[in-house]
Amino acid sequence: MYQKILIANRGEIAVRIIRACREMGIASVAVCSEEDRDALHAHLADECICIGPGKPSESYLNAEQVLSAAVVTGAQAVHPGFGFLSENTRFAQMCQECGIDFIGPSPESIEKMGDKAQARRTMIQAGVPVIPGTSETVTDESRAKALADEIGYPVMIKAAAGGGGRGMRVVTEAGQFADLFRLAKQETAQAFGDDRMYIEKYLASARHIEVQVLADRQGNTVYLGERDCSIQRRHQKMIEETPACVLDDEMRRRMGETAVLAAKAAGYYSAGTVEFLVDENRNFYFMEMNTRIQVEHPVTEMAAGVDLIKEMIRVSAGEELGFEQKDVVPRGHAIECRISAEDPERGFLPCLGTVESLNFPGGNGVRVDSCLYQGYKLSPFYDSMLAKVIVHADTRQEAIRKMRSALGETVIEGITTNLDFLYDLLGSRWFAENDAASINQMLEERCGK
Amino acid sequence: MISRPRFRKPVKEEQAAGPENSLEKNRPGVPEGMFRKCDGCGKTVYQKDVEEHLYICPKCGRYFRVGPKIRIGMVADRGSFHSWDENIPETNPLNFPGYEEKLKILQEKTGLADAVVTGEADIRGYHTALGVMSPDFMMGSMGSVVGERITRMVERATRQSLPVVLFCCSGGARMQEGILSLMQMAKVSQALQRHHQAGLAYIPVLTDPTMGGVTASFAMLGDVILAEPGAMIGFAGARVIRQTIGQKLPEEFQSAEFLQNHGFVDRIVKRESMRKTLWFLLSAFDKKRQEMERSENRNSSEAISGESAGRADRKEEKDLKTEKSPDMTPWQRVCEARSLARPAFLDYVQKICSVFMELKGDRYFGDDRAVIGGIGTIDGRYMMVIGQQKGRSLAENKYRNFGMPSPEGYRKSLRLMKLAEKFGLPVLLFVDTPGAFCGVEAEERGQGEAIARNLFEMAGLTVPVLSVVIGEGGSGGALGMAVANQVWMLENAVYSVLSPEGFAAILWKDGKRVQEAAGVMKLTARELKELGVIDRIIPEERPADREDMEELAQNLKSRVREFFESCRDKTPDELCRQRYERFRRIQDGK
Repeated sequence: MYQKILIANRGEIAVRIIRACREMGIASVAVCSEEDRDALHAHLADECICIGPGKPSESYLNAEQVLSAAVVTGAQAVHPGFGFLSENTRFAQMCQECGIDFIGPSPESIEKMGDKAQARRTMIQAGVPVIPGTSETVTDESRAKALADEIGYPVMIKAAAGGGGRGMRVVTEAGQFADLFRLAKQETAQAFGDDRMYIEKYLASARHIEVQVLADRQGNTVYLGERDCSIQRRHQKMIEETPACVLDDEMRRRMGETAVLAAKAAGYYSAGTVEFLVDENRNFYFMEMNTRIQVEHPVTEMAAGVDLIKEMIRVSAGEELGFEQKDVVPRGHAIECRISAEDPERGFLPCLGTVESLNFPGGNGVRVDSCLYQGYKLSPFYDSMLAKVIVHADTRQEAIRKMRSALGETVIEGITTNLDFLYDLLGSRWFAENDAASINQMLEERCGK
Repeated sequence: MISRPRFRKPVKEEQAAGPENSLEKNRPGVPEGMFRKCDGCGKTVYQKDVEEHLYICPKCGRYFRVGPKIRIGMVADRGSFHSWDENIPETNPLNFPGYEEKLKILQEKTGLADAVVTGEADIRGYHTALGVMSPDFMMGSMGSVVGERITRMVERATRQSLPVVLFCCSGGARMQEGILSLMQMAKVSQALQRHHQAGLAYIPVLTDPTMGGVTASFAMLGDVILAEPGAMIGFAGARVIRQTIGQKLPEEFQSAEFLQNHGFVDRIVKRESMRKTLWFLLSAFDKKRQEMERSENRNSSEAISGESAGRADRKEEKDLKTEKSPDMTPWQRVCEARSLARPAFLDYVQKICSVFMELKGDRYFGDDRAVIGGIGTIDGRYMMVIGQQKGRSLAENKYRNFGMPSPEGYRKSLRLMKLAEKFGLPVLLFVDTPGAFCGVEAEERGQGEAIARNLFEMAGLTVPVLSVVIGEGGSGGALGMAVANQVWMLENAVYSVLSPEGFAAILWKDGKRVQEAAGVMKLTARELKELGVIDRIIPEERPADREDMEELAQNLKSRVREFFESCRDKTPDELCRQRYERFRRIQDGK
């Protein structure tokens, strides 16, 4: 096992990983930008190295700097968290070359799954159902249009290199295609430096359901249940829960097994997530695989009773999984809400400020993953997510009540947040009835404000 | 804000208290060569990123120097390179102490015999002699072995009728070999002279750095000279200049861009386009391909060209009678010819040529932006296309000097026409200028001489030359690019000895009588056709407008093609004679 791990991230996920290290008796090294000298993760870790200015490209995204911090402190492994360098094949390769373990899958797996078009091909070969769409990437507008016409509207335009909703556009009719394609391509080129796009059928009221998988280097692969992430604002997840109520046990098992098949096709080890779309007729289609830990991993941890971060570290160090598929028995219902510094009244515009007073909820089955403290000053350089509140109860209804209670107790002063909005949403009939389509429509309308 | 000591850290406490720490045993480290530093931005970059980005810094875009092996991999078809003259014995003419040992060490380190690799290769199927100098071997300095190997390559290329592509990279002469190093410059240049006499193409590519004796010999002798962006190119090093005469040096001094602005580099080519650019030039200069085309076309084209020539004559007569706007006054045509809405040279190039590769510089002083020239293709046939370019906005007009060429513009056009002559390419000229630039600088550099030289040299060109007046044909500035086998005019173009304003001012001392002047000057296409000054009028359906020029351009294109097709079987002598006769006939408009 490692004696020292460097955490190449910031915010609540860095704090989460430092805590896991501590529980395992592993020393932690944080990296921080100049902007983050007083961030919680920087203070909490056993050591901290400042790796550059606030701009992410010069610090948290600067692979050479992160790597030198690891070498200087003698860290034997790097946990990348999510975002930043977590799905960067190059970085994973560089770690390998320096004799440092990248806590995540192999560079080859990242590469295989990172390019969406290639991932699609891999899945088709493995016999995993995929959404009808282009088998090759396109950049040429007229060619793209022809393909879209063939697939039939509505279609979704996506970036081959994409993620986080960037470069995505839904086209409902042929007339809009050219404009939206151009926009999406432009956005993609700017965000990823790669303007290859692909086009797939847009499944209008489909649910977004993902399956958590975990695999060791020896080839043992299990699935740890699913998460329903259908509530999204402009392709950004907002609330996640497990189990997904639309699935029955049989379908859950089939999707789980398919996810394992997908992971195996990519030669995958470590924790990963296979995302599916489930249409009204309960057909499910492979969408993509995320080769990292995800923001919403705690709901799975709560229900399945597994610490995913610790498992990632163990698997990375070469240990075999300590359990098999039959041992995985998720229990009860878990929900996660993402608390962000954004103003729901103004189209969810990101907000800045300093935390003036702070109260987090507690009690049985309530978990808060956060990087806030009283006096913490938000930086404009980074994501607006401040905290995740996760609850676990026997039934969905009880979990909703517990979440409302927890959100009600949460006080963050000095920064505009979406807390009240989430509180109201959890109390709505739509949420009680699991009507994601109506919620998303409402969110979309608010975004337009 | 929280203060650091407020948190207690259990793991740290345990590890500090623990008896042993195995951390030191398997400490990570950075293997050698994994990273390199970029001289451009000073940042550390991952070697693999550099390798996959054609050895260009992924952070700032600066070019890393590359040696022969990598360079050949970048430009030659896979597996096509075969090395020549690998075993030329090294010499130590000055018995310079330690020189032999140094060579030995470098040979082992680089795996190269000396600072250049030569051989033959295919570039997208075009067979060529290829030389690449190495920055890793005494900074590519030129000693006897380098000079000998390049000379042998050029000689063999001459014998085998092959073009030569040479990637130059050198600090200059190799000091350890003294005057013998200097002699290499003459030796290689002589060989290149013979290669040139044999009508073969030589394309040097100047990479960072190309200095001293290499610049002062084979680097500057190309038919077309290419350079990599940002490459340092020069004769005397910047430090030497500063130390010797204490001169303050301009920014970008001796960069590829600096050289291009001063007329010595045709094109600055990015690595990703190098192979394609070389291929295009090699195919344009390939006489064998042209001959093959010619013989393929001969049988069919004879019939066609004979027939089409007849058809063209009839069409021409019709043009005169069906002038599209016969009622316009000469002055109206002058205004039309000067209109900003009218298509400029580059608008035609875009419509007519499927490919156009601009070549810059006069090789003496600068690159005139009022004259643009390069190799274009019309329906697959290569030709030299040169034109005077006006701007459309004030800024663009300043940049293009209002389409008024400087001496270096005429010299560039002549250089390109000579290049076309060497490789048997027809020359297509576009005239659109208020006149040659008049100014102190133009006089200093010999505007009169430059125009005169063009008239003189164009008379002897052995390839077909066609000149089209598309807007203003202003005096000697126009004629400098209009000594052609045929001169055509667009219906609303004008061509005159000077502007109507000047004419009125000189003869009547009244610059306002321009309309009257335009009326008597005989400057319209119809009048000039009647005078025999031009050969053909290209009708304009409506006064030419660049927003709506498709029909006009296509008409012009097909006529240009027909014309050059009809010249295919003419011998060089016939072409010269025809041109001679054409201007000889013009006397009194009869």
